[in-house]
Amino acid sequence: MPDNADILRLESLQVHFPIQGGMLDRVLGRPVRAVRAVDGIDLNVGRGEIVALVGESGSGKTTLGRVITKLAQPTGGRMLFEGRDMTSVQGSSALRPYRHRVQMIFQDAYQALNPRHTVFDIVAEPLRSLRLVENGTQLAERVSEALASAGLNPPGDFFSRFPHELSGGQRQRVVIAGALAVRPELIVADEPVSMLDVSIRAQILQVLVDLRDKHHMALLFITHDLPLAWLIADRIAVLYLGKLVEIGTADEITFNPRHPYTVALRNATPQIGGNAGRAESPALQGEVPSAARVPKGCRFHPRCPLAFDHCREEEPPPIEVGPQHLSACWLANDGRSRSS
Amino acid sequence: MSDAIVPYSPRGRARAIKGFLGQFLSYGGAQVGLVCLVFFLVVAAMPNILVGPLQTAINATGEFLEPPSSQHLLGTDEVGRDVLNLVVHGARISLTIALLATVISLVIGTTVGMTAGYFGGPVDVWLMRLTDFFFVVPSFVLALVITPVVLEVIGRGRDILGFRPSLFVIIVVIGLTSWAFVGRIVRSQTLSLKERTFIDRARVAGSSNLSIMVRHLLPNLVPQIAANGALVVTGAIYVETSLSFLGLGDPLQPSWGTLLSLAQRAGAASAGAWWYLGAPGLCVLTVSLSFVLIGNALEDTFDPRRRVIP
Repeated sequence: MPDNADILRLESLQVHFPIQGGMLDRVLGRPVRAVRAVDGIDLNVGRGEIVALVGESGSGKTTLGRVITKLAQPTGGRMLFEGRDMTSVQGSSALRPYRHRVQMIFQDAYQALNPRHTVFDIVAEPLRSLRLVENGTQLAERVSEALASAGLNPPGDFFSRFPHELSGGQRQRVVIAGALAVRPELIVADEPVSMLDVSIRAQILQVLVDLRDKHHMALLFITHDLPLAWLIADRIAVLYLGKLVEIGTADEITFNPRHPYTVALRNATPQIGGNAGRAESPALQGEVPSAARVPKGCRFHPRCPLAFDHCREEEPPPIEVGPQHLSACWLANDGRSRSS
Repeated sequence: MSDAIVPYSPRGRARAIKGFLGQFLSYGGAQVGLVCLVFFLVVAAMPNILVGPLQTAINATGEFLEPPSSQHLLGTDEVGRDVLNLVVHGARISLTIALLATVISLVIGTTVGMTAGYFGGPVDVWLMRLTDFFFVVPSFVLALVITPVVLEVIGRGRDILGFRPSLFVIIVVIGLTSWAFVGRIVRSQTLSLKERTFIDRARVAGSSNLSIMVRHLLPNLVPQIAANGALVVTGAIYVETSLSFLGLGDPLQPSWGTLLSLAQRAGAASAGAWWYLGAPGLCVLTVSLSFVLIGNALEDTFDPRRRVIP
């Protein structure tokens, strides 16, 4: 399905949040420290491709999503959309063409809908502010169309409802409809189903997959759930502490992971019937270190069961381990797969 | 949290307003306050029908300081004017001043507070220092200083919309000196609102800052503005009464404060003319109390834990 032409390309993208030092730090002339939320990421998303961004909380996946939707400003690197440099474009009018093409689905549908607006106003908002419709009839048509694609039928029944009158699944559908209304080319979905009941999840995921199939929309799917990523995505990018540790096709990452972190993530996934036969790889120890104190060398080494001296000294570059499969581990090409 | 069918509602907003009113009216304080307020508003709206045109010293109808009787329900003043007539006409002046001053105060307070909270940074710092200035300066004293100066400059001459300019000066002065706490409350609420995801969503939807403020922040600030607006009215009534009591009102369009001032000067208290002092005094008290009651009931109704707000 994906084309060769990339719709979005990130080149060593960086988001550092400076930490406000105390008076003492300033007097002593200590260097300004920074939270390295996103620390040099190269990623490309093709037209009509679904890329999943997987990582624990604190890995910078949400910040990356906010940068791509221009809600946060990168501090370094470049962001190209359809070949145009969007890194430093700011301001609501300058961003209008970009907003038209890139939309976002938010995690918490309860928070993402203004309690004072009706469903119609919510879905119509991007159409109005991006000036994509000429009159009221057209507006109503586009809103109905978006609500119907998001699975809210019949759309007219929802026009005058308020968010508090909807169920959780319906709210998430309204959020999706709001993103769809402008017919974007790329949607960033930040954990779109994590707040939903398992029974609703499949339906919402189906809506997202249908969009790609019908409208050839690219999707950047942010999640902490590896099996979910495998289910929906063409490619999976695994993020650890602001950096990509492994990227490859969904099947490769899931069944042939070459980075110990990906292996650990996979083994941490609970499965019906228990984790029998996986005992040889120990569970992940400890927590993600603070992004303000990124470990020297490979950033995963303090938690890595395979770490050796070299890992503590030098950060591994992405190493090609297969077609379209990169892993940032010194042992990635160690000859054998770590999936067993 | 299932996809269960929520009953279809044809007119969501109308129903939300109905629900809100139902809850608001369930508070006893709100009922008392509303009844008093409606009474005074009716009185203020048609004084000529109720008690005839405003009496002056020339067309006074009674004896001096006559106690209440069937002829003069609230007695007369020191020049023989009917006190009921004066109080009813005073209601119009007092309420107009208080409500218009409140509108000015809310508009300034909301604009400053929302701008400061939304943009943050240096905008916030400077606007809040300005607010602090008006916050610490007692509005009554400031009004006391500004009013006579402005009156001197523009004169007490011609009418504006049927009100004399001195009243407009009082309205503007009260409005300009009482917005500080509205500004602070609106700012703090804005600070919490702007972190909500729906503001991010609005930004992704391409809304400009102005449109986010007007379409997203303002509707969510209405509860705070309304509840505090009721308290601002009370403050405005007090300041107006005090200014008029000190002789800064307009003798030709007496408010309740002006009446109290006249009563004081006529020695009503020592002459035992309780009706002369009591009638305007009680009116000020009742109206302020009803606004406070309404404000408190609004605040309870707008409790964020109950989402029945229209």
